[in-house]
Amino acid sequence: MSVLDTAVAPAAVRPSPATDVESPRTRLTRRLQHGGWFVAPFLVLFALFVLLPIGRGLWLSFTDANISGTGERFVGLDNYREAFGNPLMWDALGHSAYFTLLVVPCIVVLAFLLAMLAHHIERAKWLWRLCFFAPFLLPSTVAGNLWQWLFNPATGMINHVFGLDTPWLTQKSTALLAVVITTLWWTVGFSFLLFLAALQNIPDHLYEAAALDGANAWHRLVHITLPMLRNITGLVVTLQILASLQVFDQAVVMQDFGPGPEESTRTFVQYTLEEGFTAYRVGYASAISIIFFVLIAAVALGRMWLLRKREEGVR
Amino acid sequence: MSPPLPSRRGVLGSIGALAVAGSFGLAAANRSASAIASDADVRVRYWNLFSGGDGANMIAMLDSFRAANPRTDVKDSTLQWGNPYYTKLAMAAAGNRAPDLAVMHLGRIPGFAPGRLLDPWDVRLLAEYGVHEADFDPVLWKRAVVDGKLYGLPLDIHAQLCFYRRDVCEQAGLLGDDGELAQVTSPEEWFKALKAAKKAVKGNVHTIGIKADEPNFSWWFFLSFYTQLGGTCLSADGRDVTLDTDKATQVLEFLRRHLTDGYSTAIGIADGESFVNGSAFTWEGNWSVPVFSGAKLKYGATPLPPVFGKPATHTESHCFVLPHQSRRGGATDEGAHRLAAYVVKNATAWARGGHIPAYLPTLDDKKYLSLRPQSEYVSAMDHMAVEPPAWFAGSTGLLAQRIGPVIASSNVGSARPDATARRMRDVLEKLVAMKNPMEGSSATEGGSAA
Repeated sequence: MSVLDTAVAPAAVRPSPATDVESPRTRLTRRLQHGGWFVAPFLVLFALFVLLPIGRGLWLSFTDANISGTGERFVGLDNYREAFGNPLMWDALGHSAYFTLLVVPCIVVLAFLLAMLAHHIERAKWLWRLCFFAPFLLPSTVAGNLWQWLFNPATGMINHVFGLDTPWLTQKSTALLAVVITTLWWTVGFSFLLFLAALQNIPDHLYEAAALDGANAWHRLVHITLPMLRNITGLVVTLQILASLQVFDQAVVMQDFGPGPEESTRTFVQYTLEEGFTAYRVGYASAISIIFFVLIAAVALGRMWLLRKREEGVR
Repeated sequence: MSPPLPSRRGVLGSIGALAVAGSFGLAAANRSASAIASDADVRVRYWNLFSGGDGANMIAMLDSFRAANPRTDVKDSTLQWGNPYYTKLAMAAAGNRAPDLAVMHLGRIPGFAPGRLLDPWDVRLLAEYGVHEADFDPVLWKRAVVDGKLYGLPLDIHAQLCFYRRDVCEQAGLLGDDGELAQVTSPEEWFKALKAAKKAVKGNVHTIGIKADEPNFSWWFFLSFYTQLGGTCLSADGRDVTLDTDKATQVLEFLRRHLTDGYSTAIGIADGESFVNGSAFTWEGNWSVPVFSGAKLKYGATPLPPVFGKPATHTESHCFVLPHQSRRGGATDEGAHRLAAYVVKNATAWARGGHIPAYLPTLDDKKYLSLRPQSEYVSAMDHMAVEPPAWFAGSTGLLAQRIGPVIASSNVGSARPDATARRMRDVLEKLVAMKNPMEGSSATEGGSAA
């Protein structure tokens, strides 16, 4: 029914301990027999383009490697020590986290509202869907440039329409906010689509039964729609957190590849890029990438853990 | 049954076949392209970062080189300016796929592992093509030498300038009897001039553009005035921070005053456009000469005003470099030397883009002397304020990236000048403490590469 259910479906296929009499070894052989060759092409690519680079990155993070790829020396935990003691890293992490904090709730609420709108509107349904989803199809550079124009204090549409005089992109208090607004407009379409699909999957008979029992629109929303959207909401929140933490392209495009007013829009990814490709400190850049990787993996695993706990609670 | 559709397998198969055939086709086309050039003896692959007016001038110079040297073909590639360019150049050199010749900012050489990512010039070969050390400003030449070897062949000097509108300044009574901008020698005189200019400025534009919120320019302007005060950023060996916070504060207060006294703004108004629309002054790089000349303005340009006594204005230089190749030498390398020497010696065309030619004999060329306002600010090369020779310095380098926003925050008024000066010291100290990733040593200490 939703993306989420397919994700947890394999759990149901898992043989229960009572019927499982095979030794682990025969089970492995049996699985390889059936699936091994089918997954092999994927595994090769996965190893080549994911595992190997991660392993190499991990190794580099313990060295003083530079961009020339020669003469790297093992330096132990030096890079990590420097990273944790470096206020620039904490600032950059703070900016990415703050951005995430602003974007995620807004996007979830907005996507839900838009989905409700598109779901319940009778006329020109396709037009609404297209409108809400279309910005997501733009490349980040286009979205960033477009909003750079819209936010222009002298000639931009935002100040013109609202009669403001705000230098959106050049003062600390609004620079990151402008990136947040751009991101909302640009990416809400994706979450909107997930919500819309989930809404369409709620069986009509639930609403009919509720209506027969005298539930009004508000009751139906609170007691049917919202609970039925719980799983998809969890998914949207997680995906948005992961995507928002990795914010980079629209921010640098809007700030012409600078760190923004008073360095207020330097995100973690941008900081990594600066260290690796301006300073050529590949070892240090690898170390902060690993730190970031661990952080993101923790968020993803945390969600899985929460989900499992909830499943157990349901059982 | 419906008419037979092509099977999925069939479709996939043909797409694959097309892709394979296509790549062969491309390879063949590529080969024929090099075959066309094969009547030349050598082919010099040359990377540069020039677009706009500079790009057109460079292409014109390459064309005249081709006409004069039919046996040497040039395959030039123009790449995006800034850090992406340097990253590509570094990785090409590291991967032994470097071009035969490239352009770089002189200030970036110390951080570019001379000896490992860059090969030294053969000075004797250059002399054969008519380029000698004596033909260059000694300060400039010295900056290109690391461990006694020449790594950069200077092409130009580009300076930060004070552009002024003759029409507005004349009305404000700021022009001397010779029709040039009367020189000021103290901040008081300067602000008095601005006060007069403000009255003469018409329309909804500010009196002067100082790019207050732009990090790179903020750093360049700061460095200019700070050098006028006799300040330095690092000790000669690059190990110690010598930034004088009192002098730095003085400069920051001077810059900030342009906004507090109402002569300039920091709300994203494009300073160049304002100048075209009637601002009396704008501080800009000399590369804006073609823009303002194209707008048919009556304007002049001088080095930044020597308000702290000693004249000094920030300059950086484009230079030719030889990216490292494990088998550098032979006819192609000679071709690279020949090409670079030719362009450096025939740089009058280059000066049209506003740059001051590094090859001194060009400065006596009648054609150069007739260029306006170019010949007006040629003195900038006698008072160069340059970034300290450290691995993290140079155009769009780490130093500018880290210290620029700090200065800008004082310019626009969100940080106090004295606090900003202390933060600048802090930024420098952190950079000095960082190891040069290319050397395994600290700061400038080694241009000495393995």
